[in-house]
Amino acid sequence: MIYSKGPGGMDNVWSGMFAWLTMIDQLCMPAPVLTELRAIVGPGNLRLAAGELAVYARDATPLFRGMPDAVIAPADGEQVARILRLATEHRIPVVPRGAGSNLCAGTVPLNGGIVLSTARMNRILEVAPDEMLARAQTGVTTQALNDAAAAHRLFYPPDPGSRTVSTIGGNVATCAGGLRGLKYGVTRNYVLGLTVVLPTGEIIRTGGRLWKDVAGYDLTRLITGSEGTLGVITEVTVALLPDPAISRTGLAYFDSLAQAGRAVAGILAAGVIPSTLEFLDRKCIDAVEQYAHLGLHSDAGALLLFGDDGDEAAVARSFERIAAACADCGAIAVQTAGDATESEALLTARRCTLPALSRLGSLTILEDASVPRPRLAEMVARIDAIAARYQVTMATFGHAGDGNLHPTCVLESAADTEGIARAERAFADVFGTAIELGGTITGEHGVGAAKLPYLGKRLGTEQMALLRRIKTAFDPAGILNPGKLGS
Amino acid sequence: MTDAKVSQPGSIFDPDLLSRCISCGFCLPACPTYELTGDEASSPRGRITLMRALESGTLAADDPTLAEQASFCLGCRACEPVCPAGVQYGELLEQWRGYQWAGRRRPLVVRFLVIAAERAWAHRIAGRLRGAARTPASASGPSLMLGCFERTLFPEVSKSALALAPELAVPARQGCCGALHAHNGEPERGRELAKQLGAQLPGQIVSTAGGCAAYLAAVIGRDRVAELSEYLRDKPFGEVRIGDRRARVALQDSCHLRNGLGVWREPRALLNAIADYVELPGAGQCCGAAGTYALVRPRDSRRVLDPKLDQIEAAGIDYVVAVNPGCLRQLRQGLHRRKSKVRAVHIADLLRLAGADEPAGKPGHGTDTRVSPVP
Repeated sequence: MIYSKGPGGMDNVWSGMFAWLTMIDQLCMPAPVLTELRAIVGPGNLRLAAGELAVYARDATPLFRGMPDAVIAPADGEQVARILRLATEHRIPVVPRGAGSNLCAGTVPLNGGIVLSTARMNRILEVAPDEMLARAQTGVTTQALNDAAAAHRLFYPPDPGSRTVSTIGGNVATCAGGLRGLKYGVTRNYVLGLTVVLPTGEIIRTGGRLWKDVAGYDLTRLITGSEGTLGVITEVTVALLPDPAISRTGLAYFDSLAQAGRAVAGILAAGVIPSTLEFLDRKCIDAVEQYAHLGLHSDAGALLLFGDDGDEAAVARSFERIAAACADCGAIAVQTAGDATESEALLTARRCTLPALSRLGSLTILEDASVPRPRLAEMVARIDAIAARYQVTMATFGHAGDGNLHPTCVLESAADTEGIARAERAFADVFGTAIELGGTITGEHGVGAAKLPYLGKRLGTEQMALLRRIKTAFDPAGILNPGKLGS
Repeated sequence: MTDAKVSQPGSIFDPDLLSRCISCGFCLPACPTYELTGDEASSPRGRITLMRALESGTLAADDPTLAEQASFCLGCRACEPVCPAGVQYGELLEQWRGYQWAGRRRPLVVRFLVIAAERAWAHRIAGRLRGAARTPASASGPSLMLGCFERTLFPEVSKSALALAPELAVPARQGCCGALHAHNGEPERGRELAKQLGAQLPGQIVSTAGGCAAYLAAVIGRDRVAELSEYLRDKPFGEVRIGDRRARVALQDSCHLRNGLGVWREPRALLNAIADYVELPGAGQCCGAAGTYALVRPRDSRRVLDPKLDQIEAAGIDYVVAVNPGCLRQLRQGLHRRKSKVRAVHIADLLRLAGADEPAGKPGHGTDTRVSPVP
């Protein structure tokens, strides 16, 4: 039996029930299990107090809450295995959690149970320059891994916005993307091997240190993006690339996003694959200008931020072609940075987009959808129409190079339940439209609990059934991250 | 000491400030206590979740995790510069402590310090006995703020500051800036004291204590307050030499000066001019002094300090420079415990040692190339 108290838990409605529920949960979590958990990790690494649990009731996703019954921080894979065996035996939900920076409610314990924190497994095990790879425990931050690689003039290309805080294990579990997706791909393109603890307690090693290895089903890729529903990743081996000598940025303004979209096609047709190709729509430009006073063009309909890296001559060559392609498509103005400092300054516009938008209200819902690259402008126009229909403030920015958009809804108050309901209906339409245009409901944030209602529409009944069979093969008791992908 | 009115859940926090956080977690790697524990509850995001639970009543007002985390937080505000949503964590912590540390719930040592800080006459007498700087009451110009504890603990700092900027007026009659109160459970009293000090010292106020400068500026206005290195930034200085070479020096930022006031380039530029400057890897991170923290939680304070002392000893420097008396005390004690050869000095003292812009090799202040040791 999986004991469940349903979703929610922190809302005002629940506040009176809260202490009572916590008490019930204590009863549900049998004392011998608690004793055993404590014996596995040591008393300091098992947390049970109401306040200690409350902070694990949410992650970076707004609106999703669920109280855990225990938070546990194991030191290594062996301890993880013992915890999972115990959880399977007693049918206790386990939610693996890295830094809790995901945006799909992937680490919210909706069914209570145990939150398994990977914070203590935070050692970089090796950087092997001759093999161009790194091996790290799951709780190492992506930034720390990249810094260790940089000491050997190597780099780890995936650069999700949260890389300073997000863990490499979490990045693998959600197959994180980032700004460099078009040129370098995403997390799955760099994972060579994984050590994974199965819910039944076995420890498996998939892949390894090899670029070429076709022995068996590609479990490494299956587990990459499985969002903690198939196993707990405890160790990661990733491929690295030589650090590019320089990196430069520029920006171009257009009258409309449609024009910017044509420029993107022109740039790629000219044989350039930029390392960065980001866009801001009109509403984002206004918000950023209002917030940061960067002197952005006030009457532009779209801003395209481009960048490339490599040796100096190659970057100069691709910048010439990019500038020419933008001019051909009627750019109002094109600005290119002369050095790294100027590049940073231009990137500010993109970096402060979310902060600028979040200041428009007190609840910011940052969403994620992808469409084929040529349909990007059309998608943004459809998003604008949907926002108008539901009377919500929605601005869109994202990755023009790979068709990945981040429509962002800002509401004045987090207590505006009617407004939240309208925003949710609007987003349902946005995801439907993305599918209609040949796209998907999430490009890089993940499914988690937030996108699960739309997953069937994207995958179809047969694939959903197969997903559930795969889930059962890995996790017969259904203890790992219930209520998420595979449920 | 009178107890200010104790706020109740539902009215502890400014709702606008409390709703700012979007829970993205970007603050986690900046937080020294999260670094120690890896526990969400001791991260800024986790603490804001706790504040919200307290405010909404989802956690009992006397929940032990609330009390523990309100006290475990250093209050260094390293989370503020990295926050994309502009959360004013320092303000929120003041409001939180205003509740958690109201009246008898306040740690004893803090109660004692707050009472001591309010006794302006005692500071005046102690400052006089210890030989802190003073000028005739008739002196005009920008005022040097003495700081209630610096005046007694490190009287040479104000003398150095006056030697560096003789135009400063240093009236003996000046009170506390209120930062101590504000950070330790009496935010309203803190503001009152800051305003009083602002009225006592008209015009620009120069401070040798980064923490006091940041708090005073937040209450009476940024334009009226300058931290010493900010005030002296355009002045030429000589060199500090040890034997026949330039001294090697590193800086320990004052957290509130850096994270609250945004002043960190200025002391570096000055040190770079007078000596060979070495940037410590964790120069911008808290040393664990954190106002009353070193007294309230000595063990945690040392856990924060220890890696920093390792860095200081590994850097091959002669001096580590502080811009706040609390940091100076913390570093001196830590280095003394380790019997380290590295000296901790206040920037005012080191600048005075460098003297005015004279030919290199001629220290402007006697022949002694060492700053006097711990008083």
